Amino acid sequence: MSLSIAFLLAMTFLISVGGLALLVWALANDQFGMGQQAAETIFAPGEVGEVEDPATPSAARAVMQNARKAAHQASDSEELFERTIADQSSRMPVLFWLSSSMVWLLLGSVFGVIASIKLHLPDWLVQEAVLTFGRIRPAHLNVVAYGWASMAGVGVGLWLIPRLFKTALVGGHYAIAGGLIWNAGLIFGTAAILAGLSDGLEWLEFPWQTDIALVIGGALAAVPLILTLIKKRVGHLYVSAWYLIAALVWFPMLFVTANIPNLFVGVDQAMLNWWFAHNVLGLWMTPLGLAAAYYFIPKIIGKPIRSYGLSLIGFWALALFYSQVGLHHLIGGPVPTWAVTISIVHSVMMVIPVIAVAVNHHMTMLGSFRLMLYSPTLRFVVLGAMMYTFASVQGSMEALRSVNTITHFTHYTVAHAHMGLYGFLSFVLFGSVYFILPRLLDWEWPHAWAISLHFWLVFVGWGIYFWPLTLGGWLQGLAMLDPARSFMESVS
Amino acid sequence: MSHEPRDNPAQHREQREPEELHTPIGWPLLVVFLGIIAWGAFYYFHDLLSATGATSEAGDRRSVVVVDPTAKADGAAVYAGNCAACHQATGMGLPGAFPPLAGSEWVLASKDIPIQILLHGMSGPITVKGSLYAGVMPAFAQLEDAEIAAVLTHVRKSWGNAAAEITADDIASGRKAFADKSTPWSEAELKDKVGAP
Repeated sequence: MSLSIAFLLAMTFLISVGGLALLVWALANDQFGMGQQAAETIFAPGEVGEVEDPATPSAARAVMQNARKAAHQASDSEELFERTIADQSSRMPVLFWLSSSMVWLLLGSVFGVIASIKLHLPDWLVQEAVLTFGRIRPAHLNVVAYGWASMAGVGVGLWLIPRLFKTALVGGHYAIAGGLIWNAGLIFGTAAILAGLSDGLEWLEFPWQTDIALVIGGALAAVPLILTLIKKRVGHLYVSAWYLIAALVWFPMLFVTANIPNLFVGVDQAMLNWWFAHNVLGLWMTPLGLAAAYYFIPKIIGKPIRSYGLSLIGFWALALFYSQVGLHHLIGGPVPTWAVTISIVHSVMMVIPVIAVAVNHHMTMLGSFRLMLYSPTLRFVVLGAMMYTFASVQGSMEALRSVNTITHFTHYTVAHAHMGLYGFLSFVLFGSVYFILPRLLDWEWPHAWAISLHFWLVFVGWGIYFWPLTLGGWLQGLAMLDPARSFMESVS
Repeated sequence: MSHEPRDNPAQHREQREPEELHTPIGWPLLVVFLGIIAWGAFYYFHDLLSATGATSEAGDRRSVVVVDPTAKADGAAVYAGNCAACHQATGMGLPGAFPPLAGSEWVLASKDIPIQILLHGMSGPITVKGSLYAGVMPAFAQLEDAEIAAVLTHVRKSWGNAAAEITADDIASGRKAFADKSTPWSEAELKDKVGAP
């Protein structure tokens, strides 16, 4: 490689680090002009509510309320009015996106179970091409990624927007139209995969014709965000709003670029493929999940987020470093060494925003962890946020060449992917849905035990999935590296 | 909008909207961040500088299998590469389509018969182990004498077959015996000119 390329790429790293240093300096010198007083002017004096989680049985709720009551007074009537207006305005679009996501979650799970059983019984359901692993598995991935996680994430985002901007959601019908088109794209895309018309690139299997529906649907869902942003009645944007706005800007850029047919071919196409596939996690699903976590943790325990500065570092470091990490999927592949190296460095740099977010959440929760016993929403969201930390640090380690040599092409990676999308994102989304629905539907959750059962089933199920695959994947990787052992030994 | 607040108990119970404190970022955390950045800088420049001007190395480093040109041909390998697609790895053929080699009277007959079948191929109906097959068997004269000898020996000694070994010299003399023949054998012609099984 020539020194000039090395120099240009070094600049990418240096500019990102420089940006981060500038941010830390600005924070230390209070350049944002956001003193404690400024932050507090957003809130009416003395506006405090009681501990709330609609998914909690009323007896347990009383315990939670007593834990906080001493410090707080009754809810401020003006804020109560604002939140009522907010929830009424977002009702239909949120319900549409959330209920669609649940249908896709069920369907995606069925595909996932079929694909999983096929790994144990390869001859099961092979009579028809449509039922073979090569079609069921990408159908599972796309349905849970774009059907469940994306639609639920957008649904939660649409509910958060008017709450964060303290005004009614403007243009909610655009989001409903967008949801219809997004669903149509998913139906045609999934049918195309099952019919064998896949694009053949992981995470990009939908044919480009159906991608147009997802682009239009996603753009329409972003319209209310922009219209409501214009009418916002707050001077300061809360951290969840940054993540939501950023996610809805980043996703179309990624999705459109990656899906333009024949833009890149050969090795370039593989690089584009993984650039997209990793960014769709880090710059689309992660911000959606973090926006929800940053909202619900302080909301439920009734304490402010610990540090505005850490929120800023967590957000901007993600924005600066994430876009380069995808190529660690091509370690050992026929791509330039410098491209892989920069992705490894940036993958490890991701530890910075992850620690910032983790410390921020942890210090906020400190002293309130006991409340997880009583609130299923808090249990889901806090555990999800913890798994974000775990999955991200694990991902940074997997990007190192020495670790990647063992884990690549094994079930270790599969376990890691489910750690992120299930342990982190789905847990946070489950918790969010339990909080949101009673506000939109004017009822209370009828069966507290069912919520508890749900939590323990997914928690135990996740454990059964993650740990054996992680351990087994590592052993599988070691067996594949040992030339004295046949390939069959690595998979049996 | 002029909506009156509806009486939704969940909204009444709720905490205030979340806010953020301005707790400073502690110096231990900044030290950790600096450490990560320092590692990144080191890894990046170390990797780039060592890669600059270095020669690339492709593929894995497991030792390549050295082929010995004087080694005897491997009958099983020749069979897997040329015969198994029709006659199957089991030597049982496919009923109705490809005749079996296991227990076949044509395979176990005097060695001239299988040698001539391989050198010139077969065409038209043939009865094997009491069943009639109507297909085409291509000629394999393009293989080396040693390869043909090895695969025939392999076939004649596998799946319960136990017939005499065939040598490369047998193949060489087999080629000379019908050097002018350019069409595949039929069953009748083979029985007439070479012999019946």
